[in-house]
Amino acid sequence: MSEDPSTETAEETQAPYHWIGKNVTKPDALEKALGATEYVGDMVVPGMLHGKILWADTPHAVIKRIETEEAARVPGVHAVLTSKDVPGSNRFGLAVPDQCALAEEKVRSVGDAVALVAAEDEEAAEEAASKIKVHIEHLRPILTYADALDPDAPKIHEGGNVFQHTTVRKGDLDKGVRESAVIVENAYHTHRMDHVPMEPEAGLAYVDPSGVLNILVGTQYPYRDRRQIAPALGLPMNKVRVIQAPIGGGFGRKDDITAEIHVGLLALKTRRPVRLVYTREESLVANTKRHPMAMNFRTGASADGRLTFLDGDIYGDTGAGVSLGAYVIKKAGIHATGPYDVPNIRVDTYTLYTNNLTSGAMRGFGVMQAAVAHESQMDQLAHKLGMSPLEFRLKNCLKPGLASSTGQLMNEGCGIEATLQRIKDYMSARELRFNRPEAASSDS
Amino acid sequence: MAIRKGLGIGSMYYGIGYGFSRADIGSAEIEMAEDGTTTVYSGACDMGQGVMTVVTQVAAEELGIEPDQIRVVAADTGSTPDAGPTSGSRATFVQGVAVQNAAAELREQILDMASRMLECPKENLAVRRGQVCEIESGHEMVSVGKVAHQLHFHGRRAAAWGWHDNTTADVDPETSQGDAYATYGWATQLAEVEVDTETGRVRLTKLVSATDAGKAINPVAVEGQIEGGATMGLGYGLYEQHILEGGIPRTNSLAFYLVPTAMDVPDIECEIVEVPDPRGPFGAKGVAEPATIPTTPAILNAIHDAIGIRITETPITPERVFFAIQEARIRGEFEED
Repeated sequence: MSEDPSTETAEETQAPYHWIGKNVTKPDALEKALGATEYVGDMVVPGMLHGKILWADTPHAVIKRIETEEAARVPGVHAVLTSKDVPGSNRFGLAVPDQCALAEEKVRSVGDAVALVAAEDEEAAEEAASKIKVHIEHLRPILTYADALDPDAPKIHEGGNVFQHTTVRKGDLDKGVRESAVIVENAYHTHRMDHVPMEPEAGLAYVDPSGVLNILVGTQYPYRDRRQIAPALGLPMNKVRVIQAPIGGGFGRKDDITAEIHVGLLALKTRRPVRLVYTREESLVANTKRHPMAMNFRTGASADGRLTFLDGDIYGDTGAGVSLGAYVIKKAGIHATGPYDVPNIRVDTYTLYTNNLTSGAMRGFGVMQAAVAHESQMDQLAHKLGMSPLEFRLKNCLKPGLASSTGQLMNEGCGIEATLQRIKDYMSARELRFNRPEAASSDS
Repeated sequence: MAIRKGLGIGSMYYGIGYGFSRADIGSAEIEMAEDGTTTVYSGACDMGQGVMTVVTQVAAEELGIEPDQIRVVAADTGSTPDAGPTSGSRATFVQGVAVQNAAAELREQILDMASRMLECPKENLAVRRGQVCEIESGHEMVSVGKVAHQLHFHGRRAAAWGWHDNTTADVDPETSQGDAYATYGWATQLAEVEVDTETGRVRLTKLVSATDAGKAINPVAVEGQIEGGATMGLGYGLYEQHILEGGIPRTNSLAFYLVPTAMDVPDIECEIVEVPDPRGPFGAKGVAEPATIPTTPAILNAIHDAIGIRITETPITPERVFFAIQEARIRGEFEED
């Protein structure tokens, strides 16, 4: 049948589109497959200098003094810069400008940049960076959720260590508890994760003859980069041009500022093209990570297998800078129910500063963590009720006309039931079965 | 060997776009040259996932020309308009509509001019495969290039601008009630694992990913997202952990920070589900994040299915599983072979 040409014609007349739904080849597929694509780390410009960053080596400290004289004397070095050399605000940050391009009076994590070097080659830049002396006074680092929640602990930023507290309230929690035949309560802990884009952070900057600072960078958003670079470096926005270079993955990491401000500052100060490419080790330490979260969830269901309530707390470690953390953790809170109809909800979330690495956007954006908790809860409730985890989800999933945790009415684009049904069909076609809940009665 | 097999599922929903009153916009310019070749100036960054290809297909469909006649200039503050970030699984959903709007306006310019050139009512004309056709007969009247040439000749440029504002108001500050996102992504995954009860090692042996794309504009690109997402989810669940001690990283090299290799990635079955969303371009929505979120939960549930033990902390390292088994043994709760 499949070789019958009339079948194909019938399908074609059915399809309303010429190009939607077709596997049109990506324009860059061939050059990528051939390894011909030039990433920033491959780019060489005449007169180009190499940038290097001196990172903090302690998580929390006051900077007393930075000596750069010896570094500046290394042959081939064109610039050794600290925060005093930054002509603009020196600040950036996606939710609030709480990060310094170069550390000022304080170091808040080992991901903080303290000084910058530009030199004729990478070896000279590295040598110079190693000769910068930073005199510091250690402060007690804030490393755990409990530290961050302690009102008497040292403040990492002036406003205190609890950056944000959000609340989800829906229905009547006590009523939900009363209507529950089964209740499951657990504490979940998720860990810090790196994006590990194949291409580490990299930028190439030059000032063109019209005085515009051009920055080629593997970024996810050149306009927002420009909005952050210009004030940080004291430039009008129309004197900054950001061009997305071919990118070797970002996964949310390159949503934020990476090499832009540093490489731009070096090009401004040296009036030479400057390239700055992180090593993998630098990439693993600097910039944003996925938030570790602690989640305490209590969830109930009625005897007939309907979800009755969710009562939960989510603590997120956003590290030394908020980046997008406030939105990540707030998003985790409103997605804490998962794709289900839960009538009664109390969820509180806390965005906490620590002296750990800054956490920000990463593929999954808070929902990655929340799903670890809500899906574990769903299976445990199903087992207690002696129901198949698939049937329990099908029974409780959102459908057009039902409302999400925020009271948003679902419309025709609500696809959770279709994805569950697809898995159900897949399993029954292959006679796949869970080992449990057959064992459920003894399990609970 | 004490290998036990288990199956587990994980589901999720994910608000697509930015929410919280944050600007969630797309915009694009489109221009047709005198030979009918067309350039889309699109601010959206292609991360390798293929939004440039999506932009090409959307413009081709809406304009009625072939994709090989379209070039995309992307993501440069010096030459493209602001299309918001490529994040939040929003590029196809938001920028796709902006490009569709730009292409539709250019098509109307072409049809206006063609109507004058052909002295034929505009409503009788359509653009198909690069030709202005009479709708009734399907007869090809004039190429879009000739029409574009006339537009340029009269200083009209044959160019259009399209934009789309997908910004959604923030939820209530006390209750978080409100329409948080314009739309949501949906996905369910089925994981099959093998747990070695002697070592605690977990292997993912099969993964089935049912991910709702609304409408898959480019199915192979969607499969790329599904396979990449599942691989990243597998890394989160089993391997990748950034360990700090006293705020100092102990995993600052790939010798210590473990990412999945090709040896760790099992067969991934891509089940593309299509529940069209009227607010996306041709019903499409993003899949980047929906494709990665369910993997770790599905593995956690599959481990429970295999050995009857609930792991509540990630990543699911052999040590964690090993000690969980030992603790269950001490409590007399472990189901021995």
